[in-house]
Amino acid sequence: MPAITVDNLTKSFGQTLALDDLSFQVEEGEVFGFLGPNGAGKSTTINIVLDFARPTAGEVTVLGMDAQQHSRDIRRRTGVLPEGVETYDRLTARQHLEFAIESKNATDEPEALLERVGLVDAIDKKAGGYSKGMSQRLMLAMALVGEPDLLILDEPSTGLDPNGAREMRDIVREENERGATVFFSSHIMEQVEAVCDRVGILRDGEMVAVDSVEGLRDSVEGGTTLRVTVDRIDDDALQAVRSLPDVGSATVEDGTPPTLIVDVDGSKTAVLSTLEDRGIEVQDFSTSEASLDDVFRSYTTETEVHAR
Amino acid sequence: MSAETGSATAGSGGAASSSVNPESVRAIAKKDFQDSVRSWLFWGLSAFFFALLVIVTGVLSYFGEDIAAQGATTGMLVLFVSQITKLVVPLIALVLGWKSIAGERESGSIKILLSLPNSRKDVLLGKLLGRSAVLSLSLTVGFGLAAIVVAALLGGFDVVDYAGLLVMSIVYGVAYTSIAVALSSLTRSTTMAGAAMAGIFVMFYGVWNGLEGAFRLLAQREFLFFDTVTYTATVQGQEFEAERLQDWVYFVLNLDPGQAYTNGLTLLTDVDALENQATINAQMFGGEFPIFLQDWFSFLILLFWIAVPMVVALYQFDRVDI
Repeated sequence: MPAITVDNLTKSFGQTLALDDLSFQVEEGEVFGFLGPNGAGKSTTINIVLDFARPTAGEVTVLGMDAQQHSRDIRRRTGVLPEGVETYDRLTARQHLEFAIESKNATDEPEALLERVGLVDAIDKKAGGYSKGMSQRLMLAMALVGEPDLLILDEPSTGLDPNGAREMRDIVREENERGATVFFSSHIMEQVEAVCDRVGILRDGEMVAVDSVEGLRDSVEGGTTLRVTVDRIDDDALQAVRSLPDVGSATVEDGTPPTLIVDVDGSKTAVLSTLEDRGIEVQDFSTSEASLDDVFRSYTTETEVHAR
Repeated sequence: MSAETGSATAGSGGAASSSVNPESVRAIAKKDFQDSVRSWLFWGLSAFFFALLVIVTGVLSYFGEDIAAQGATTGMLVLFVSQITKLVVPLIALVLGWKSIAGERESGSIKILLSLPNSRKDVLLGKLLGRSAVLSLSLTVGFGLAAIVVAALLGGFDVVDYAGLLVMSIVYGVAYTSIAVALSSLTRSTTMAGAAMAGIFVMFYGVWNGLEGAFRLLAQREFLFFDTVTYTATVQGQEFEAERLQDWVYFVLNLDPGQAYTNGLTLLTDVDALENQATINAQMFGGEFPIFLQDWFSFLILLFWIAVPMVVALYQFDRVDI
């Protein structure tokens, strides 16, 4: 049974379409990275999963239960780190956790939870004096209350320094090993690739890719991007390059002189010699390894260029 | 918790999102109490309130000998204090309840409440309970401290009357807290909520107080369905005819929580001064007040102001996006 099933979900705010017929599944026991630039609709999706907002159309099922009809039952078994939320200034970390423990009817100890997130020193200090990173640690501790079956972490690295972000990822791994499904949203690929089994990339309210980290890397650029600056280019030469077995795609960036951008998964010299065979002068060339960031960017920005 | 193996737990409870769980309500009320009882604004208002009480007592004790001779010291105290509380209690309640929901929506912290297994109804009821508890604490502390001052200055007072004033003030305060929390949940921003609070205050202290005059003018001109009713009154053995407004006008006038508070006080306390203040008497209604003008009915009016705003808010708050 999937932990989260989103089915043809649409959400509009007046004229603005925030989610457009979105469908995806988060499998039980996996760490799912929900990736997308700010404003892509990640928080809207999470808001509907948690019944903070109501769908315009479509259905969401969490832990086998309808997200709207059984929201309380779902939240009994879910730990949530919401995004862009202020903690209660006048309450201490202990009081925050006692409230969460009481609400969840759990038996955790505030000290033990704060120990895990590295905030135990500030347990009796009021949250009003916390830094952003400390508030984030406190909220992560609140999400861990009651050993939830599902963890929903919305931009959990906000306000954390690299060290804090690493500790947060360690906790995600520990929770996953315990058996929890983790749904982890972020706008930074780097934070997702280290912990996630699968990644879904959201853009303008639509899922543009869902795959494992490796699969994503493979799918987009077969590994290397070759940029070749030439004196001129013609269709004949372009077709010849494209028909090479190792070439994924080849596009021309107009300019003087024009540049050929080729995704190549093997011999680069084959590309160069093909061009030269057709009498085209190669003035310069460079290669770059596709990083996951490029993958993310290609899904979230370049696709937009292609669409126009 | 984690022992649940999570296969077919669905089925339990139809629309769980809109149910009320007493334990959740209690947890939210407790948290809310802890939070707002530490508010600087709250203590400022309480100190202000206490200062007012002490000033009244001081003035009273200054002229106290004359009044004490008439055996009406507590009566005068209740009368003066109730006129202050009639105005100050709503102010404290509205200020306390103003941000209760709108503020949490603005800062996003409402997501902390609603990420946990609390329903939106739990949040509203918990907030009402928490803020009411804070208000009751403020009033009890204020009245208690003032009582010591009163006892020291006046050399004793009627505890029952004084306790009656406190209980009535708390019920009155809860009514305004309910109005405040409900309005706070119906608005998205604290600015809008603040405007709503000001609107409520103006409505009951401006508009409602002016209503009687307005109705009287309309009745004298027999405008539309407005009219006057003629009754026979006896004053010092002499009978004469007088005019009063229609019954329903008095009903409308009495819907004001402040009016209900004053009327309720005459029932809970034994203070003649309050009765003498009344602008209406039973003679106007042929010897006996209609039900809605009897003192006990004012409790129903206050209950109405506690229940109705909450019912509206409970219905509406379940239907919006947070």
